[in-house]
Amino acid sequence: MAHPAPRHLPFNAVAWTIAAFLIAALPHLAAMPPWLAGFIVGACAWRLVVARNRGSRPPALLRLLLTGMAIALIVLAFGGLWGRRTATALLCVMLAAKMMEMFSMRDLRLVASVSFFLIATQFLFSEKLIYLGYLVVGSLTATIALVRIQDIHGRPAGAAPVAQAAAVRNGAVLLLMAMPVALTLFVLFPRLAQPLWGLPDQVLDGRTGLSDDMSPGSISNLFLDDSPAFRVEFEGRPPPPDERYWRGPVLWNFDGSTWTSPFSGDAPRRRFVPEGEAARHYSIQLEPHERRWLFALDYPVRAPDNATVTVDHQLLNRHPITALTRYELVSNPDFVDMPTLPDGARSLALRLPDGRNPRTLELAAELRQRHPDDRELIAAVLRWFREEEFFYTLSAAPLGRHGADEFLFDLRSGYCEYYASAFAILMRAAGIPTRIVTGYQGGLWQGGSDYLLVRQSDAHAWTEVWLQGSGWTRVDPTAAVSPDRIEQGSGSVIERPGAVFNFDWLAQLRNRYDRIQHLWNRWVLGFDHDRQRDFLQRLGLPDLTPERIAVLMLLVLLIVTAPINYFLLRQARPARRTPAERAWHGMLGRLRRLNLAKHPAETPLEFAARVEAALPQQGAAFRSLAEMYCRIHYGDRAGHEAAFLAQARHFSPRKA
Amino acid sequence: MSSRPELSPTAGAEAPPDSDLERAIAAVNGVIVDKPAVVELAFSALLAGGHLLIEDLPGVGKTTLAQALSLVLGGSWQRVQFTNDMLPADILGVSVFRRQDELFEFRPGPVFANVVLADEINRATPRTQSALLEAMAEGQVTVDGKTHTLPRPFFVIATQNPLDMAGTYPLPDSQLDRFLLRTSIGYPSAAEERRLLVEPDRRQLLETLQPELDSQRVLALVAQAEALHVAEPVLDYIQALIGATRNHAGLRAGLSPRAALALIRTARAHALVRRQDFCLPENVKQIFPFLAGHRLQPLPESGLDSRSIVEEIVANTAVP
Repeated sequence: MAHPAPRHLPFNAVAWTIAAFLIAALPHLAAMPPWLAGFIVGACAWRLVVARNRGSRPPALLRLLLTGMAIALIVLAFGGLWGRRTATALLCVMLAAKMMEMFSMRDLRLVASVSFFLIATQFLFSEKLIYLGYLVVGSLTATIALVRIQDIHGRPAGAAPVAQAAAVRNGAVLLLMAMPVALTLFVLFPRLAQPLWGLPDQVLDGRTGLSDDMSPGSISNLFLDDSPAFRVEFEGRPPPPDERYWRGPVLWNFDGSTWTSPFSGDAPRRRFVPEGEAARHYSIQLEPHERRWLFALDYPVRAPDNATVTVDHQLLNRHPITALTRYELVSNPDFVDMPTLPDGARSLALRLPDGRNPRTLELAAELRQRHPDDRELIAAVLRWFREEEFFYTLSAAPLGRHGADEFLFDLRSGYCEYYASAFAILMRAAGIPTRIVTGYQGGLWQGGSDYLLVRQSDAHAWTEVWLQGSGWTRVDPTAAVSPDRIEQGSGSVIERPGAVFNFDWLAQLRNRYDRIQHLWNRWVLGFDHDRQRDFLQRLGLPDLTPERIAVLMLLVLLIVTAPINYFLLRQARPARRTPAERAWHGMLGRLRRLNLAKHPAETPLEFAARVEAALPQQGAAFRSLAEMYCRIHYGDRAGHEAAFLAQARHFSPRKA
Repeated sequence: MSSRPELSPTAGAEAPPDSDLERAIAAVNGVIVDKPAVVELAFSALLAGGHLLIEDLPGVGKTTLAQALSLVLGGSWQRVQFTNDMLPADILGVSVFRRQDELFEFRPGPVFANVVLADEINRATPRTQSALLEAMAEGQVTVDGKTHTLPRPFFVIATQNPLDMAGTYPLPDSQLDRFLLRTSIGYPSAAEERRLLVEPDRRQLLETLQPELDSQRVLALVAQAEALHVAEPVLDYIQALIGATRNHAGLRAGLSPRAALALIRTARAHALVRRQDFCLPENVKQIFPFLAGHRLQPLPESGLDSRSIVEEIVANTAVP
């Protein structure tokens, strides 16, 4: 039923298509140079005006010129045509350029369809829960646009355009109908244990967690960062708050201002760490942070898959963490690290740069004289920190050349890095091997005690000293100054700039959102190969090969779409047919095989005349059957029916 | 209307063979060359109790058709040639004062006849036109507060020249639907035109026509048409066509329920004219363009005329 295409696309369909495109492009527009976003929005606005005024497309040369210019500017702005930002920007610009020649139904459908893809590209940049809502709104708009386009195209002649509300409802119903299919694909699409390609770096657009070195002042920017670092679920009893030290990079080298790690490679741990009696079992969901390290409680018994443990018990993943990563760990808190200290490690842990911090060295010598025992000396320093006027503050001044001197004798206020660094220098000066450990400390229970949320603001630095008999021992000088920081978490000591707005309900809302985000991470983003296997195992389908999973997926797809197919097929077929109608349609079917199809708008007798012309031998017979059918179908149905049914059954048309 | 399948005698067996209606149709066809479909339409309009508007160029046989129809119908007939100085009274009639009786006497105008031929109706002023159109719609005439019933059957055949626009008053769209059907005649085919040239003059032929029907018979046929069986699928088809006009984007408004009633009535009459004893979708399909064409107003911006829209609707409406 070809319908002559209208000369102008209806405004309605154009507007919905542009809306779908703009919603799809919105997150990308925000990341673009303003002039580029302006070009895209301008093209859309122009197209809307043209649709209103029933204008026509601009000349081809102008279109070509504008598109070429836009692409050239993208190359200039993004420095080449490589990378996700560039590619999505290019896609947006190409679609915006398409506005200039979007003058046929096909173009509209193309833009609406590509909008779906454009919406999905947002997940290359962020997988936050909030984008789920965005995905739904965007897909709905694009679907409604498709409904609108289909309405111009597939509408039978003479039918009125679908009302706006009906189009919206149609779109929503279509999306809902697609849900079972989407769910099936999500759950059963064969997952690979390894991703086919890694996402390029900078998923976080420059925002990172900890760095692999430490100079006092470097973590401070993290303290105000509320975003989650990782989430922990414990099996069994969780450790008490003062043992929740999440071990990250371990730093040995000090050049006078910055602490760094001496191990450039993976330097794997060779020692065997037994599980011990107090072993803690837990799993961690780590937010992407672009670095390789994983966080663990002291001391991880073994590394998760694709990761190693370094000599100083740091977990290193094989690749940078660019996606939400889940791993399970067992830690033994009672393990004694290095009961004897090798000479190499001892000299590394005692080294201090020359000509720095003379007063600290002096103090160390004095302390050493008074306290020959290492443990007593440490206790004395911690007591000194506690009793003298030392303060914990986040707004600490930067330190100069003799950082430890300035901090210990003049400034006396700072945060964990200041204390850890000064304490380590003092210990090394007193001859006690010391290293600095950075990581996170604490965490907040979410949803009762479902899981522990560790935020970026929980970043922390502490020290480990080597003591005869107990090996490397954690000493947290910050705890001596500000026990609250350790007992109650970072939130208790941070003077927030926006404290006025820090209402309880806001905090609650934030926690609730994090809970949902956690579930989203766990069940949607984290639904990887292993989870899929677990899920199938629970269904009683263990150890399926990807091929078998694919077959299972197709089967389930057939089953979940069956009700929809049944419904659609039933709608397409008219209601119950009488025997005569069935016989008549049977004959029509047989004629159709001879390429003699009855047009819906043809009456039986008109069709019979056509058949008579095409099949000279049987035409007369068919004509008389058609007349009988008319008598039954349009007449009063009396008599004739039996004879018609018998003859119709035996009618088998053949090409002459 | 290129191919016109006719139901063979099997289907129309109950119709009396060689009936007076059939003879009347044959007689008109003998005078009007090569236009059986138009003759069918004219008889359908008559038997559906409606009126016929013929829009065509001069000289294609509009008047001849009207004359032939009125002659075979047998009743009284009148012809009015419309002009722009005509007054309503010239059509409806006037009350005149009779001095001897001291009473007003109504002198009926030409509209008081069974068949009225209103020639070139668009040349009269709108006032005169509406006088006729009102009489057509009401079946009665009111002059000086007194109502005079028109004879039955009452059948108006109006003609209109679509090209001759100077000094004319085309019937307004809103009044066009006083006519049940609107049709044109068109040129005859070459062979039939040859017959026209060779045969005696049409006027002589007309004189040979004998009344085949009378008023009573026509009224009986109208009643017979009204009783004709219309099956559910045909009703479905009628509703589908009417619905399509209401949903068409290129039309100002769709057909009214009155038009739907007119369609079913005319389809029945058309079936009777074809000697069927029940209504076929063909009847509806062939009547529909002539019934809908003048009742629909296309939107100017759609760039389509009502004829092509109606054709499009018929071509796209499935026959149940």
